[in-house]
Amino acid sequence: MNLAQLILISLCGAFLTYLLGKASSRIRDTFAVFISLLLIIPLFCLYGKNEEITYYSFLGLPLILKITPLSWLFAIAVQTITSLSVIFSLSYMKGKERLDFYYLMLLLVNTGMLGIVLSADLISFYIFWEIMSWSTFLLISYNRGPALHAGMKYIVMSIIGSASMIIGILSLYVNCGSLDFVQIASFIPRTSSGYTLFILILFCITFGIKNAIAPFHTWLPDAHSEAPSPFSAVLSGVLIKMGTYGFILFMYTIAGLNIIINIGGGSFHYLISILAAITIIFPTFIAVLQDDAKRLLAWSSIAQVGYIILGIAIGTGLGFVGGVFHFFNHAAFKALLFLSVGAVEYRTGTRDLNSLGGLIKKMPITFFCALIGVFGLIGMPLTNGFVSKWLIYKALILGEHPFLAFIALFGTWGTIIYSYKLIHNIFLGQLPEKFSNVRKAPVTMRIPVIFLSLVVVVFGILPGIPLKIIDTISASFGFQPQDIQIWGIASETGVLNMVNIFAAIFAALIFVWLLFLMGRKKINIAQDDSYAAGAYVPKDKYNYTVDFYKPLSGMIKPYLRDFVDDFYLWLADVIRTFSDKTRKIYCGDLGYYISYIVLFLAVLIVLKMGLKIW
Amino acid sequence: MVNPILLIAVPLAFAFSIPLFGLISKRAGRFIPPVAMLFNLVLSIILIPDVLESPVSVFLSGFPPPFGINLYVGPLGILFSAVIALVGFLVSIYALDYIKEGAEEKYHMLYLALLTGATGVVLTGDIFNLFVFFEILCISSYGLVGYLGNKAGVESAVKYLIQGSVGSAFNLIGIALIYGQFGTLNMADIAANINSVSPNQLFIPLVLFIVGFGIEGAIFPLNAWLPDAHSSAPSTISAVLSGIAIETGVYAIARVTFTIFGASDILLFLVLLGLLTLLAGELSAFSQNNIKRMLAYSSIGQMGLILFALGIGTDYGIAGGLFQFINHALSKALIFLATGYMIYRMGSMEISSLEGIGKKMPVSSLCFTVGAFSLIGLPPFAGFPSKFMIVLSALEKHSNLFIVFIGIVFLGTVIEATYFFKVIQVLYFKGAPAGVPAEKKTEISPAQETIKDRGVITGAPIAALIPMIILALLIILIGVYPKAVDEILNASSIELLDRVKYIQGVLR
Amino acid sequence: MVINILEIIISPVLAFIIGIFFMGLFRKITARLHWRYGPPVIQPFLDLIKLFHQQGFSHGPVFDLGIIMALAGSIVLILFIPFGGICPISNSGGLLVIIYIMLFAPLGIALSGGEAANPNISIGISRKLILALGYEVSFLLALLALMTYYNTISLVDIVEAQDNYKWALFSPLALSGIAYFIIMPAMLGIRPFDIAGAPQEISTGPAIEYGGKYLGLFNIWHALSMFVYIALFVDLFLGGGSNPLTFFIKMLVVFILLTFIHGVFPRFRIEQAIKYLWKWPVIISLSGLILITVIR
Repeated sequence: MNLAQLILISLCGAFLTYLLGKASSRIRDTFAVFISLLLIIPLFCLYGKNEEITYYSFLGLPLILKITPLSWLFAIAVQTITSLSVIFSLSYMKGKERLDFYYLMLLLVNTGMLGIVLSADLISFYIFWEIMSWSTFLLISYNRGPALHAGMKYIVMSIIGSASMIIGILSLYVNCGSLDFVQIASFIPRTSSGYTLFILILFCITFGIKNAIAPFHTWLPDAHSEAPSPFSAVLSGVLIKMGTYGFILFMYTIAGLNIIINIGGGSFHYLISILAAITIIFPTFIAVLQDDAKRLLAWSSIAQVGYIILGIAIGTGLGFVGGVFHFFNHAAFKALLFLSVGAVEYRTGTRDLNSLGGLIKKMPITFFCALIGVFGLIGMPLTNGFVSKWLIYKALILGEHPFLAFIALFGTWGTIIYSYKLIHNIFLGQLPEKFSNVRKAPVTMRIPVIFLSLVVVVFGILPGIPLKIIDTISASFGFQPQDIQIWGIASETGVLNMVNIFAAIFAALIFVWLLFLMGRKKINIAQDDSYAAGAYVPKDKYNYTVDFYKPLSGMIKPYLRDFVDDFYLWLADVIRTFSDKTRKIYCGDLGYYISYIVLFLAVLIVLKMGLKIW
Repeated sequence: MVNPILLIAVPLAFAFSIPLFGLISKRAGRFIPPVAMLFNLVLSIILIPDVLESPVSVFLSGFPPPFGINLYVGPLGILFSAVIALVGFLVSIYALDYIKEGAEEKYHMLYLALLTGATGVVLTGDIFNLFVFFEILCISSYGLVGYLGNKAGVESAVKYLIQGSVGSAFNLIGIALIYGQFGTLNMADIAANINSVSPNQLFIPLVLFIVGFGIEGAIFPLNAWLPDAHSSAPSTISAVLSGIAIETGVYAIARVTFTIFGASDILLFLVLLGLLTLLAGELSAFSQNNIKRMLAYSSIGQMGLILFALGIGTDYGIAGGLFQFINHALSKALIFLATGYMIYRMGSMEISSLEGIGKKMPVSSLCFTVGAFSLIGLPPFAGFPSKFMIVLSALEKHSNLFIVFIGIVFLGTVIEATYFFKVIQVLYFKGAPAGVPAEKKTEISPAQETIKDRGVITGAPIAALIPMIILALLIILIGVYPKAVDEILNASSIELLDRVKYIQGVLR
Repeated sequence: MVINILEIIISPVLAFIIGIFFMGLFRKITARLHWRYGPPVIQPFLDLIKLFHQQGFSHGPVFDLGIIMALAGSIVLILFIPFGGICPISNSGGLLVIIYIMLFAPLGIALSGGEAANPNISIGISRKLILALGYEVSFLLALLALMTYYNTISLVDIVEAQDNYKWALFSPLALSGIAYFIIMPAMLGIRPFDIAGAPQEISTGPAIEYGGKYLGLFNIWHALSMFVYIALFVDLFLGGGSNPLTFFIKMLVVFILLTFIHGVFPRFRIEQAIKYLWKWPVIISLSGLILITVIR
């Protein structure tokens, strides 16, 4: 199967799903799962291949698809997350309205993303990018209510990004004469650095918006929290990473390592790094203040994307490997967390962190998976998040950016703060009475979540598997290859051996467990026995969840308003006011209308005769 | 080879025969426009290969140009006549069911006259004939705007009439001045001798033409009639006005400035005018609550974009502009047709009253979405290649000024996208629960108000769906396969730019 | 290989002995500072034996798992920290790994306490995490200064670089060392920063639901963590130790200084603590880091 057929199958699969839905919802569900899982197989087989195909000619431009190691990695991540999201949707979306449309759009987004990562020329890139953008818009708006506002925010920023991108693309076409990545890559070194910078900035706006880099992040918290949960997983897991892909593509495939490091005296990539650092630190602490589980995760996504970009932009092999690996990991654990929260929302009907609690008794599997996800998010050893963050930190420290490293490390503590809040307020603490009948999540919700937890853990203990692939990518961009072993990274300035660490932790756990068993046998008692000494406890009143970090939030809240968002809203308001004023031109009075015509004529003549304008 | 004169003669004959058919059956009249337009469409398509090979110049009354009246059927003309026939045909099918009340026969007659006028404008090679056909177009559209006979319709028709007449007067003065200077009305002849007169003397007629045709072509600030007229006309007429009439106005400007005046020195002026129009239109549409007014303002914006593209002045840019002509004709017609039945069913033109209609009228809503996406310029719809070409040609100027201009164009696009996406959200995602009848608004619907039962909101009738679906498919087809129109667009843009060829083609 | 395995077994045991000894000493010195007599030094050890013979009660699997995880994390941490030349698995990861393994303990305690669903615990954990956020700033800045100065992320390398009395505390890194010392009471949870477990306010916070062997494990964890933080300071700023004895002496000095601080200071409120921690230690450690980046 060649690449064009792959995309075509994906596209047709989406529409076929829609049509099948008209016949029967069961067939549609089965088919959606089937088609999304089916595509993983050929994608997987494409590993290491170097296939290229010109599939169409658009306005005289050849449209090319090509698989590279980088696009392979992204494509696999995209397809896997989408498949899991589709499986999760089966029960999550059951009984909701307009499901045919939902699956169509979900699979269309998937096609768009696959197309983006497989494109080898800018015009197919743009086309797929746009298809992804508008279908995402339709899906974000799906939930109605506040989702509409979120959708508008998303699409307006997205269109601005696309405008910036198409200007860049066409400008490249005009100057280079081709939109093939290879041609452009050979053209860029020949052009002036000012022009390269211009192009890079244009594309950075596009990718920054999609990737939610500060100051372009404001669409994300709304969109992520308002979209249907399975789609939030896709959105956060892979869709925003299309921006990451774009960054990598432009910085390393097209512009090339040397240019990126040296352009503007090295200030360009440093500036991106600083933006990424800002993206880490503020959203992390804004996330601490959130009371909506998905909103919290959304802000967390922004912050984690900051890590990815920080790793990629810093311009060392170690950082690049760490950044790309963190993309992969973030896709896994953030999708995992969104799906877990989705399962909780499905069972309890709420995602308000203040009113949940104690669900560990009711949904143990979801709890453990969410815990693994949170560990990955924090970067606890034995999860994949640890390895990637370790790589990024190490790159920053050895690259002598101690302040960036500080921000990255400190962001991790913020991550712990909000992650614990998430876990505690949903699963720990006391179970409110109203949730005493909650059942565990349905099986189609558990499968994706369990699978993702396995990914998080396995790649945490054996990080060498994906790191090898990523290292070949980074080497192909001209970075120093790293000494990757299956158990981690061997290097002179600090080794990382995950298998040893795993063995040590495992042994210690066994040891402590034995110690635990040595003590006298425990008895299990009810949760509030020792607290209330057997007296009646009004459970809901003693659940400490509301404003969990009160002392902290009181201190940091005044500094953490999203000023950028306020600014954009203000700008939108100004435009609205201005447009109202413009509309007043068409006042409805014929006298004015005629005078417009006559005045226009008069002005033209006066300009000509009096001022000799032309 | 078929004589292109039939393109004008046949619809005109049909138009005037409608009252006769009315004698046979009251219902017969409505079937005439589709037949006539289908004829035109087929004829245009048959002519396209010949015309692409070599333009056809037909002269009437036995005298060769410059003495006789001639038709010049170049690629541009045939492209426009094909688009006019296509849109006219589809809209007339839509009208079979939509136009049920009132002076039905007169509607169909004026409708055909309007299209005949438009076809004449794009085919004629004589500037006075251009004026005459233009008047046919305008006068029929005055009548059609007021077709519903309600207060808003008549008022806006009168406003339109007055402004249009001012424009006609300017045009006539311009033609008189030209005739005084050159002694001929043949466009090719004028073009051939244009350098014999000092530029200063040419300026006044040029400005008069721009203003005169600009009124119909919806150029800012001459377009004040447009929002009223579009919103108070029946949707079929809005579609034709927006998709054909105002585009004909812009065509006339292009023809006059490029072919006659060879206006290379006012290109920048056209660009600026286009940008101004674009911004004015999009900004006005942005906060509009009335859907048809919003679409009308959007048309203004699109005309600005086309003018901008024409002002770029390179063959690729003009081809892009013409592509945008096609796109706008198809998309805007589609959107107006789609909204037609929505407004009719809901009884209000307020955007908020269209809530949740996506579920009740799925095809109409889908068609609206396709049209809107195409106007915004999203792939894989027809708007994408056209916008692509326009922006590309602007960037090919290699001037920082044009990069700023492109920025402004995209500012317009962003605003346009914002309001269109807002409407799409209203259609699909904002909704009263199903089964609850829509609240009846106080504003009077321009469409037939007499339908009593609005409780059950059903999809549009089949006669309305077919043209919409065809238009939507065409938009997608052109978007995916822009090569389909590539050749004729290039030939047309060359026709506009290459005056010598035009002159030789007529005065051989 | 054999020596390595021996080291793996010995170092936690040593750490345990030292930690328990410190706990006893801690109570003794504090009592003397307060003009009391105080319990015998081996009292904590006796307590442990007693606790493991008492019945404990549990609130669920995570309640057990959390405390086990916390203690296991501390044990692993000890394996990564050089103790006067004994450092069994330091070749598997450097300081960055240590920073992260440090997270096991607080998270384990927090999870365990979370399942217990006692509001006092939740408040205690909330305070602990906020406090950690407070001291982590200076901690990270100090570590980064070290790592930048020696251009390595391996703790063993840092210790080696300080051989022959080239202690980091008496080098340009002095500012970082001072900052680290200032925040150490907060890291150890002793006064003036014993906010998370404040006995008079929230009844020892996270420890409140623990009884029997749970409290025993908790106490072991506490002893180990005391060892870890002090040992880390000795390794980072006092040049480690050529043999376990000198290392122990250095630790003892640092420990006694800390105990004096504990003995004479009253407790901060959490807001005050954060404000304090984000002011002076940060200023000192930040200027330390800036100094390092400038002179390098």
